[in-house]
Amino acid sequence: MRSSKQQLYPPFTKRISGVWYRHYRVYTKSLISNGLPPFLEPLIFLAGIGLGMSRYISEMSGIPYVTFLATGLPITAAMFTSAFECSYGTFIRLEFDKVYDGMLSAPLGVNDLLIGEIIWAGTKGLFFSFAVILVVAAFGLVPLWSLSAPVIGFLTGVMFAAISLLITSFVTNINHFNFYFTGFLSPMFFFSGVIFPIENLPPVLRVAAEFFPLTHSVRPARALILGDFSAVIFYDLSAVALFTVLTGWPAIGRLRKRIIK
Amino acid sequence: MSEPVIKAVRVNKCYGNVRAVKNLSFSVPESICFGLLGPNGAGKSTMMRMIYGASDRDCEPAGEISVFGFDPQIEPLAIKFLSGVVPQENNLDEELNVEQNLYVFCRFYNIPRPEARHRIDELLHFMELSDKHSARIRELSGGMKRRLIIARALLNKPKLLILDEPTTGLDPQVRHLIWDKLRGLKRQGMTILLTTHYMEEAFHICDNLIIMNKGEKRLEGNPQELVKKHIEPFVLEINTPEAYSRIKPSLQQNTRIDKNGGTVKVFSSDQLFLQKAVSRLNPGEYFLRQSNLEDLFLKITGSSLNAVQ
Repeated sequence: MRSSKQQLYPPFTKRISGVWYRHYRVYTKSLISNGLPPFLEPLIFLAGIGLGMSRYISEMSGIPYVTFLATGLPITAAMFTSAFECSYGTFIRLEFDKVYDGMLSAPLGVNDLLIGEIIWAGTKGLFFSFAVILVVAAFGLVPLWSLSAPVIGFLTGVMFAAISLLITSFVTNINHFNFYFTGFLSPMFFFSGVIFPIENLPPVLRVAAEFFPLTHSVRPARALILGDFSAVIFYDLSAVALFTVLTGWPAIGRLRKRIIK
Repeated sequence: MSEPVIKAVRVNKCYGNVRAVKNLSFSVPESICFGLLGPNGAGKSTMMRMIYGASDRDCEPAGEISVFGFDPQIEPLAIKFLSGVVPQENNLDEELNVEQNLYVFCRFYNIPRPEARHRIDELLHFMELSDKHSARIRELSGGMKRRLIIARALLNKPKLLILDEPTTGLDPQVRHLIWDKLRGLKRQGMTILLTTHYMEEAFHICDNLIIMNKGEKRLEGNPQELVKKHIEPFVLEINTPEAYSRIKPSLQQNTRIDKNGGTVKVFSSDQLFLQKAVSRLNPGEYFLRQSNLEDLFLKITGSSLNAVQ
C-alpha cells in the first residue's frame, strides 16, 4: 500500500463534510418551506394539547402532562425527519435522481456517501428537536437548560438514519416504505414512552418497549430536560449506539451492492 | 516509453449468466484519445465503469486493471481524483442550480472556495454556459446538460477524461462543439477515453480505438488505418432490390456484396468499375461513396446479413 501521507485525494473528514454540504445546500435552498414547519408543528401540538387534552389529563408521572409530552416530542420529531430523509429521500437519490451515481464520479466511496448521509440525518434530528425545545421552552414548559437536549436529537437522527437505510436496502418499490412508517414508526410513537410512560404498559409490552429504539432516546432526553439523571442513561445510550451499528453496518454493505454494480 | 495511463489485461465481467465483458485487454498511452466502439450492449459502459471503480470486475478469472498505477478496486478514489468522469446518464443534481452543482463537486475535490469560484467561471466560459450560471438544471437543454457534466468532470484539472457516450442524442452543433473542446483538451496533454456508437465521432477525435461486440474486442487500431486495411475503399449503395437485380450480372468477382433489408451495398477497390456499373441505374436509386468506419463497424459487428451471391 502507498503511504497515507502521500494520499492524493481528500481525507475521510473532508469527504464526509462534502457529502454533508451537498445535503445542507439542498435543504437550505428552500429555507422557508423547510425551516419553518419544524417550529410550527410543536405550536400546533401545544395548542391542541393545552386547549383540549390537558383538561382531561392534567398529570403524567408526577409532572404536568404538557411538560411530559414536551420532553418526548423533540425526539419523535428527530425520528420522523431522519426516517423520511433516509427512506424516501435516499431511495429517490438512489433510484430516481441518480444523485449517488453523479457523486460517485467524484473521489467519494459508498462509505462516504452513506456515512455523510447518516450524519446529515443526525443534523436534521438535532435541528428538529432544537426547534421543538425552543418552542416549548419559550412557553416556559421546560427549563432553559433543555436546549442541550438536541444532542439526543442528533443521536436519535443518526440511529434512525441507520435503521432506515437498512430498510431502504431491502426496498425495491417506494410504496413499501408505507409498511415501515405504519408498521414500525407509528407504533413506536405510542409505545416508547412519548405519550405515556412505558411503566404503565402490560408486562409483555413493557418488555417489548425495551426493544424499541425510540425508547432509548426518549428516556435520556427526558432525563436531560428534567434534570433527573440516573445510570439508566448509560444503558440507553449504549442501546442507541448498538442499534446504530447493528443496522448501519449491514445497510452500508447491502447498499454498496446496489450502487457498485 | 512511459507507462500507459490505463492498462487492462484480460478483464471479465458477468452479470448472472450474461458475460458483459470477455477477456478484454487494451492499453491507453498518455495524451491520446482512445475510443471504445460497439453497438448497445457490447460492454463498453461496463468496461468504463470498471475503470473508475463504479463496477467491480470479476475476480475469477483474475484480470487486471491499472489506471495511473492504481487498481480501481483498491484505490478508486485516487483514480477519481486524477480523472474526470462523464457518465452515460445525465446525473446532475436537479435540486441545485448550475453553479451549485459545480461548487458541490469542488467540495468533493476539496478545492478552496476562491479557487473554486474561479474554476467554475472559467469552465462555464469554456463550455459556453456562462449565461446559465444561475439556471436551474430543469431549464437546460440536453446539450447544455451534457456540457455542464463535462465542465463538472474538468473541475479538478484531470489528467484523464473518461466519457461514456458524450454526444448521444445531441444535435450536430453541440456535437461539433464538444468534439472541438475534446480535441483542444487533448492538445493540452489530457488523455481521453470515450465510448461511442457514432462512427463519425470516433473517426474525428480518436487516435486509437477498439471495436467491441458482445463483450469482446474485435479490432484495434487507428481509425483511418483500420478502414484502409479492413475494408474496400469504395461502396455503391443501391436502394431497391429491383435496381440491384438489373445490374447484378455485370458485377464482377472482386466486389463484395452486403445485403441488409432493402439496401444492397457493393464494396470494391475499383472506383472506375463501380462508376461504370451505375450508368445503368437511375438517379436516386444509388449512392456511390467512399467507405467509412461505419461500414467497417457493420462488417465487424455483423449487424447486417452477409451474403456473397
